[in-house]
Amino acid sequence: MIEATVDPTTTVRESFPESVEEAAAIVRAANEAGTRLLPAGLQSWLGAGGWTRPADMTVSCARLDAVRHYEPADLTLTADAGLGLAELDDILRPNGQWLPADAPGAVAGTLGGLVACGVSGPLQGRYGALRDNVLGLDVVTGSGRVLQIGGRVVKNVAGYDLVRLFTGSRGSLGLITSVSVRLFPRPEADLTLCYAGDVAEIVELARTVCTSPLPIAAVEVESADGDAVCAVRLLGGAGEVDDVRARLAGLVGREPARSLPGDESDAFHRERTGWERGSAVVARLAALPDQLGHTCEHALALASALGGGVVADAVQGVARVKASPGGVGADAVAADAVVGALSRARGEMEAVGGSMTLSQAPAEVAARVGWTGGGGGGAELGNRIKELFDPASVLAARCP
Amino acid sequence: MIPATLAKSLVEICGADAVILDEDRLLVYESDALTAYRHRPGAVVLPRTTEEVQGAVRAVAEHGLPIVPRGAGTGLSGGAVALNRAVVIGTARMNRILHIDAPNRRAVLQPGVINAELSVAARAHGLYYAPDPSSQTTCTIGGNVAENSGGPHCLKYGVTSRYVTALTVVLADGSVVKLGGQGRESPGYDLVGLFVGSEGCFGIATEIEVGLMPVPEGVRTLLGIFDRIDDAGQAVSDIVSAGLLPAAMEIIDGPTIRAVEDSVFAAGYPTDAEAALVIEFDGVEAGLDHDAKRAAELCACAGAREVRSARDEEERLALWKGRKKAFGAMGRIAPDLLVQDATVPRTTLPAILRGISDIGHRYELVVANVFHAGDGNLHPNILFDRRDAGELERVERASKEIMQLCVDSGGTITGEHGVGLDKKHHMPLIYGADELGAMWGVRRVFDPAGVMNPGKVLPEEAAVD
Repeated sequence: MIEATVDPTTTVRESFPESVEEAAAIVRAANEAGTRLLPAGLQSWLGAGGWTRPADMTVSCARLDAVRHYEPADLTLTADAGLGLAELDDILRPNGQWLPADAPGAVAGTLGGLVACGVSGPLQGRYGALRDNVLGLDVVTGSGRVLQIGGRVVKNVAGYDLVRLFTGSRGSLGLITSVSVRLFPRPEADLTLCYAGDVAEIVELARTVCTSPLPIAAVEVESADGDAVCAVRLLGGAGEVDDVRARLAGLVGREPARSLPGDESDAFHRERTGWERGSAVVARLAALPDQLGHTCEHALALASALGGGVVADAVQGVARVKASPGGVGADAVAADAVVGALSRARGEMEAVGGSMTLSQAPAEVAARVGWTGGGGGGAELGNRIKELFDPASVLAARCP
Repeated sequence: MIPATLAKSLVEICGADAVILDEDRLLVYESDALTAYRHRPGAVVLPRTTEEVQGAVRAVAEHGLPIVPRGAGTGLSGGAVALNRAVVIGTARMNRILHIDAPNRRAVLQPGVINAELSVAARAHGLYYAPDPSSQTTCTIGGNVAENSGGPHCLKYGVTSRYVTALTVVLADGSVVKLGGQGRESPGYDLVGLFVGSEGCFGIATEIEVGLMPVPEGVRTLLGIFDRIDDAGQAVSDIVSAGLLPAAMEIIDGPTIRAVEDSVFAAGYPTDAEAALVIEFDGVEAGLDHDAKRAAELCACAGAREVRSARDEEERLALWKGRKKAFGAMGRIAPDLLVQDATVPRTTLPAILRGISDIGHRYELVVANVFHAGDGNLHPNILFDRRDAGELERVERASKEIMQLCVDSGGTITGEHGVGLDKKHHMPLIYGADELGAMWGVRRVFDPAGVMNPGKVLPEEAAVD
C-alpha cells in the first residue's frame, strides 16, 4: 500500500491497496481510528451526484486490476475492480465480445467505478442496464467485512440480490474489489445515422424512430443552439443492419446528413461518453419518453442559461445538460443565474412527473438547488441499509 | 385456526368472501407446485386493494402471527408454504391491468395478473412482456417479482428484474412505500432491484410497473437431434462462441424424450436420440435465415444426426411441444418427481451432464434433464416413488450430490426457482457466514419483527444479532 497526499491544502491522503486483505485492513483500521474513507477508482466520478462527503483518505482499487476469470464461450468475465474499461475492451475485442457500457464517463473509468456509480448509457434499451449485467461482486463493507455476493453465472436467484444493492451505491456501503459481468457478442455491423434539422423536427423524428418496432440500438438528440442532430445507432448482423437502414429511410422519409459506419460509429459513441468532461455544471432532466419534446425544450432553456449544450437519450427520455467549460463563473451573479435556471428546469420537469438531478455542480450551487428533488420512496429503508453495512459511518459517501 | 378476533378483523377489512377459514378449503393452499412440502395455513385472505392488504397485514401482525404472501402457487421451492399456520395473503383477486402505456412501452398492474394475460393485452399495441416462465399461463406477475422468474427466452431478453421499474410495497408494519418509477430518476439505492427476488420476505408488492418490448417481426426455430448429449452441450457452446445470440436454447435429454413420446404430448422426437436441442432466433426478418443456417451448421459439426426447422407457426409449436410438455409427460413414468434447478457456467455443461448421469447410476435413479442450455440453467429431474422409503432417501442424497457438483463447477444452487423452504439448507454451499449475515441484516431492515414469510430462504443458524 502506498499513501500519497492528493491535495496538500486539504491533507486528504490516498491509499492503493494491492490485495483484498489489505483493503479490508484499511477499512478496519479506519473503524478503530475513526478515520473517514472515500472509496475511489481513478477519482473521475467522485464528484458525481453529490454522494461524496469530506474524507480523510481515499481508498483506490487502481492497483487491483487483474483479470481473474475469462472464459469467452461462457460470455462472462471476473476482474478486479481497478481494471480500466479501455483495457477491458482491449481484452474482449480479439474474442469478438464486449461489455456494452456507455455510461457518461465510461471511457475513462474503471470497472469498479462504473459499477459503484451504477449509471447506464443509451445502449441500455438493447442490452439491459448495467445492473442487469453485473453477476457478482466482492466488496469490503464499511464495517470491514469481505463479502462475495452473487456469482459468475448468468442466472442466479440464490438469496437476496445484494449485487443490485451495491451496484450504484457509490461507495456508501463498501469498497467494490472485484466484479463479474455478463458479456455480449460484439455486433458484426455498427452504423450510426445522423439526421440534422431544427429541434422540433428532430425531436419528432427521434420519437418516430423510438416507437417503431424496428430494432434500434440507441437514439440520441444533440443540440446546442436551435439546430439539432439525431444520432440513430444500429447494431447487429450485416444483413439485419442493412435492412433496418433501408426501412428507417422509409419510416422517416429522408436520408441522413451523415452515416458513420463501423469503427467511426464506435468512436463517435465512445467520445460521447466523455461529453460532460470538464464541465462545472451537469444536470439530468428525465421524464417519460413521450415527453421528449418537453424535456428537450427545458433542457435547451437550461443549456442556454449555462452557455452549454444538450444530449438527450430519446429511448429513455433522459437529457443531459452541460455548461460550457469555464462558462459558469464562481461569482455571485453568475451563481444566481445558474441557480435560477436549474430551479426552473426542476419545476418544469416535476410538473410532468419527471425529475431534474445534478451530476456536477459547484458546492454553492448544489447547496442552493439540491442535488435531487427528493421524493424517491424508500429513503428511510436506504438509511437503515447504510447503517447496516457502515455502522460507524466510516465511508464518507451517502445518498444526497 | 386463527383467533376469532383476527378472523373478525379480516372480514371487516376485506369482506366475508375474501377470508377463508374452513379447514377443507384451506387444503388447497397447503403447498405450492413443489408438493413435497405441505403445511395448512391458519387462514387465507384475498384482498383486492393496496389498502386492504395494508389492513390485513396490520391485523395479522397485531396478533403476532406470521404472514405468507402468495400468487398462484406455481412456485417450485416451497416459498409460498405457510409454516406454523401462518396467514396467507393471496393476490388472486388483485388481477387488474391498471394501465398499458404503449407510447412509453410500460404497463402498471396489480400483482395477481397472470403473466401470459399481460402479453395478450399488450399485443394489441404490438408489445409483449418478455419473461416467460414455463408456468406463464397460470403464474402471476407478483409471484414472478418475488421469485425473479426466468424462462426459456431470458437467454436473450433477461429475467424479471430487468423489466420491473417500480413497485408499491406494503411492508411488514403495514406501511406503504413506493419504489422507483419510469420517467424520473430517484436518488438512492436500487431498492426495486433488491426487492425483486426477495421471495415474499420483504413485503407484498401491490402495484407493479413493468417495461414491455415490441413483438419481434420474425422467428426461426430449429430442432437438433443428437446421439450424445455431450454433443448437444457442445453445440450450445459453439453457437455462443460464434457470436450468435439466440432468443432461446433448450435441451431435452433421452429419458425425457422417451417420456414425452410415450405420452399424449408426443412431439415426434426420435426415441433413440439422447438429446434434442431447440434453438430459436427472433428479430427482424432480414438476418434470421442467416443466423438459423449458421446454427444448423454448428449443430451438424458438433455431431447432430439431423436438424429440423419449422416452416410455419404450427411446426414451430410442434418443435417446442416436447420441451413445454416435458414435466407433464414425466408424471406418466413415475409417481413423484423432484424438479431440481441449478446454474453452471455454460462451458461446463458436457462434464456436468456426465456427472449427473453418473450420480443417477450410482443411486439407481432415473434422472431426466430438461433445461435452459443457453444460460447453463439445469433442471435435472429425479423420478421416484415416495412410498418407497429407501428410494426417497437415495433421491435426497443424489439431489444433494448434484447440487454440490454444480457449485463445484462455479455454479449456483438455483437459477430461477428460488430458495424457499427447499434450498434454505443449501445456502451455505455458496455463501459464508458473513454473506448470510448480511442477507439477514437486509431482511431485518425491511421486516424487523420477522413477520413476512419466516422460515424461508435463510438458514436460522446463520442469523447474527
